[in-house]
Amino acid sequence: MNGPEVAPVTRRLTQAMLNAYADASGDHNPIHIDEAFARTTAMGGTIAHGMLVLSLISEMMAVAFGERWLASGSLDVRFRAPARPGDTVTARAAQQEAKDGRLRYAVECVSQTGEALITGTAEVDR
Amino acid sequence: MTVTLTELPAGHEFEAISIVMDAARSRAYRVATGDTLPVYDEQDAVPPLAVAAFALGALLESVGLPPGTLHANELVRAHEAVPAGSTVECRARVAQRSLRAGRVFIVLESEIMLNGAPAVTTRATVLCEAEAS
Repeated sequence: MNGPEVAPVTRRLTQAMLNAYADASGDHNPIHIDEAFARTTAMGGTIAHGMLVLSLISEMMAVAFGERWLASGSLDVRFRAPARPGDTVTARAAQQEAKDGRLRYAVECVSQTGEALITGTAEVDR
Repeated sequence: MTVTLTELPAGHEFEAISIVMDAARSRAYRVATGDTLPVYDEQDAVPPLAVAAFALGALLESVGLPPGTLHANELVRAHEAVPAGSTVECRARVAQRSLRAGRVFIVLESEIMLNGAPAVTTRATVLCEAEAS
């Protein structure tokens, strides 16, 4: 193993964050920013962009690995459940055996109720 | 009428797009995500997920997304840091398109090139209801 421990990152999502993320990323899918539309869907309200929630995992890895994460990090994840404005999301990591010369972590984002929102793996060069 | 992403066939290749990794936009992304780490300023770099998100946003200017489209899977790999202010070229294609249980699944692959070499590569799976596509 031999990689560092990776500290969790926790953040509360707000509709303002979703709106700002839509503007910054260019992803204005109404499921994220239009409450009236989102209420008519199976989601029942707006949900966070998957890539916004995933950014917590990237931030967590950047804290642990700095420049190395920016130049060699990878994420392979599945979006399992939506995060909603008002949710408090925690990103966390558990180290696994290194693979092909790269450090490897099981990563996930969970809600305040413990529901898995994102699961997958992160890798970075040794 | 704008073609939607879910109408494109497997194998469809998008025209290469040049994208400036604008420093102000990178800061706006970091504010939106709440990521205030100093490493990006120290390295004068754009977060890898921001690079991927900006490339996807540029692609979506040429094709529409059916409202309610959801993100199912994402693979993102950084090959080198992308400096703020640099210009990258995004090459993307529809790698797979399938219909399952009344839903259209699209796998979109992209290579984001910096100075002729891949800087960030992505593979995203999105899905929407078939009748919405």
